[in-house]
Amino acid sequence: MPVPIGSGPNRRQFLQRAAILAAAAPTLGAFLAACSKPAGTQGSAPSLTIAKPDSPVKWPIADDNKAIGDNLPPEKGATLKIYNYADYLSPQAIKGFEDQYGVKVEVSTFNDGDEAITKLRSGVDFDIYNANYTEISRLVTGNLVRPLNHSYIPNITNVWPTFTNPWYDQGWQYTVPYTIYTTGMGWRTDQVPADIGKLSNPYAALWDPAYKDKTAIIDDFHTAMAMVLLKQGITDINTSSEADLKMVGEQLSALVKATSPKVTITMYSDMPAGQIGLSQMWSGDIINAQSYLPEGVGPEILRYWFPQDGKGLVDNDMLVTLKGGKNPVLAHLFLNHMLDPAVAKENFSAIGYQPPQNSITPDSLVAEAFIPENLRSAIVKPEYFETGYRTLELDADNDAAWHNVWNAFNAGGS
Amino acid sequence: MLKARPRERPNRLWPVLAAPGVGWLLLFFLAPLYVVLAIVFGQRDPVFRTAVPVWNPLQWDPTQFTYVLTRIGPDGVYFPALVRTVVYVAAASILCLCIAFPVAYYVSRLAGRHKGLLIALLIAPFWISYMMRMLAWVNLLQNDGLFNWMLSFGGLFDPNVDWLTGQPVVVVLGLAYGYVPYMILPLYAGLDRLSQSMLEASRDLGANRVSSFVRVTLPMCRPTIMAAVLLTCLPMLGDYFTNDLLSASPKTAMVGNLINDSVQAPGQTGQAGAFVMLVLIATVVPMIYYVRVTLRGDEVRT
Repeated sequence: MPVPIGSGPNRRQFLQRAAILAAAAPTLGAFLAACSKPAGTQGSAPSLTIAKPDSPVKWPIADDNKAIGDNLPPEKGATLKIYNYADYLSPQAIKGFEDQYGVKVEVSTFNDGDEAITKLRSGVDFDIYNANYTEISRLVTGNLVRPLNHSYIPNITNVWPTFTNPWYDQGWQYTVPYTIYTTGMGWRTDQVPADIGKLSNPYAALWDPAYKDKTAIIDDFHTAMAMVLLKQGITDINTSSEADLKMVGEQLSALVKATSPKVTITMYSDMPAGQIGLSQMWSGDIINAQSYLPEGVGPEILRYWFPQDGKGLVDNDMLVTLKGGKNPVLAHLFLNHMLDPAVAKENFSAIGYQPPQNSITPDSLVAEAFIPENLRSAIVKPEYFETGYRTLELDADNDAAWHNVWNAFNAGGS
Repeated sequence: MLKARPRERPNRLWPVLAAPGVGWLLLFFLAPLYVVLAIVFGQRDPVFRTAVPVWNPLQWDPTQFTYVLTRIGPDGVYFPALVRTVVYVAAASILCLCIAFPVAYYVSRLAGRHKGLLIALLIAPFWISYMMRMLAWVNLLQNDGLFNWMLSFGGLFDPNVDWLTGQPVVVVLGLAYGYVPYMILPLYAGLDRLSQSMLEASRDLGANRVSSFVRVTLPMCRPTIMAAVLLTCLPMLGDYFTNDLLSASPKTAMVGNLINDSVQAPGQTGQAGAFVMLVLIATVVPMIYYVRVTLRGDEVRT
């Protein structure tokens, strides 16, 4: 087809039209502004209440966000939507719930809490979210979570007493505990002959060039940077000290130079596959790693270190019901389901993360040979929660300072 | 009269035909671009620190943009990643071209009766998702994978190479592998259209095979090569996924990873937007050059 030459705009016409378009652009902005919700950021900025073990918080319950009534029937033929980490909920536990109530359960996944909160804010209709206590203030302040009606969750009596009135949610108004874990060091004896746990500073092994291209650290700014602080002997792992953060930044640069670690949360499969020999690791991941080992490689090559005096990173995740969910009754019932001792134990064996159940004690795990001898250090003991260090929610400015260090590290190296 | 008619009709017809395209561009390119600007220069939610776009340019706040700008200089923390991006993308593109050109040339001009089959094979990679093709490499390159097994001559000795923990060469090869199909097809289309009579003319006028290739085929292919290189370069520039799967080490982070990391960090969406703008500016310049080159090519042909 012949293109009509000369019938299109010439350069001057083009420039004129472009100018008109450019001049009209701000009206587009006004148009978009009219469409969007009022930002409401102009007034005084609400500050976050931050829960700490030594200053427990009882969260307010908003008038427009009351718990559901007693004795409501579960929603019929519904799809219960769960928002969770990948590989962090046993398929069998889901199946059992589906069969019991004749409903469907749909699990969507996220990679880290930051990503999850951003998505929750965009107004999704998930019923249940697997939260960390470092998010609870934002979840409550932002009116994203729904308060619990305790009458649906009798199984709460099965969990460790400290979790029925936790410091991050006094009176468990919004949360039930899900898993507990420590953050230490994991390694494979066939790739790392040294006994990392016997070193004077096991964290420092990650900086040892002998393990170049064999290491990994956890892809979570707070968990990874807290490890650097602990390695340097600083136990305030929520520090707002500029000097400390600068030091962490320098240490992370040195880390890239020394061993160029992978930054990932898939060590539970990468270590069994042999890509990683030494890694900062969650206790649940080293237990989980056993089931990813290739044929012919036994679990005896896996090792885990966490300071046995409990002076390390201890954590717990929890389940919350979301205000945007369409199935609040089912959501309560699911929380109760996961606190059932048999379900919790099956879930533990599927995902490797220990639930704080009264029926599961360090002694029982050893006695039943649930955890092999070489991984006993990955068992979480109740007393760790008295001596361990907890990553806390950071206030906005401090959070930004931490993230800037972390992003510079992720961009880094030569 | 005869001359005026075709001028008059197209004046109405062509803009109408162009309207869907223009509308598409406005809706899916210019408007999103404005949203990115509104986020880069926007505010942050005080509690969640998610981005709050500011639509009025008069209220724009350049803090996040300048935060990035002041860190991309030769001493800045982001400088190595930017240099790395350029080097990786250039290396992967050259590699792609070295692989794609002979393949495309063979299929378009020398394949004979196998042409149909070969074209089908060239399209085959598009049937498999990019992620699957990269995961296949993860499988091949892992420590006990097939590649190390081959290097060890079936287990005779231990090569002990960790391919998947921050090897730049693996990332470059991964990029080249991933994007080479996107280069072969446009090259094939261009080479297939080369006028046979021009080549015959050059041979008739005494050029041998080599000089007719260098003096006729290559110059005539230049717009095609430019288009093919741009088509693969631009997505490579924003790629973070290849890197995450094949390396996941900060040592090989590219600008796509910077964008991904800042998008996911609360309060830093504006920084991600700033990187997007930088990439956009860096790519618009060669794009304009390309458009000019192809326009000139059309003028020559008509």
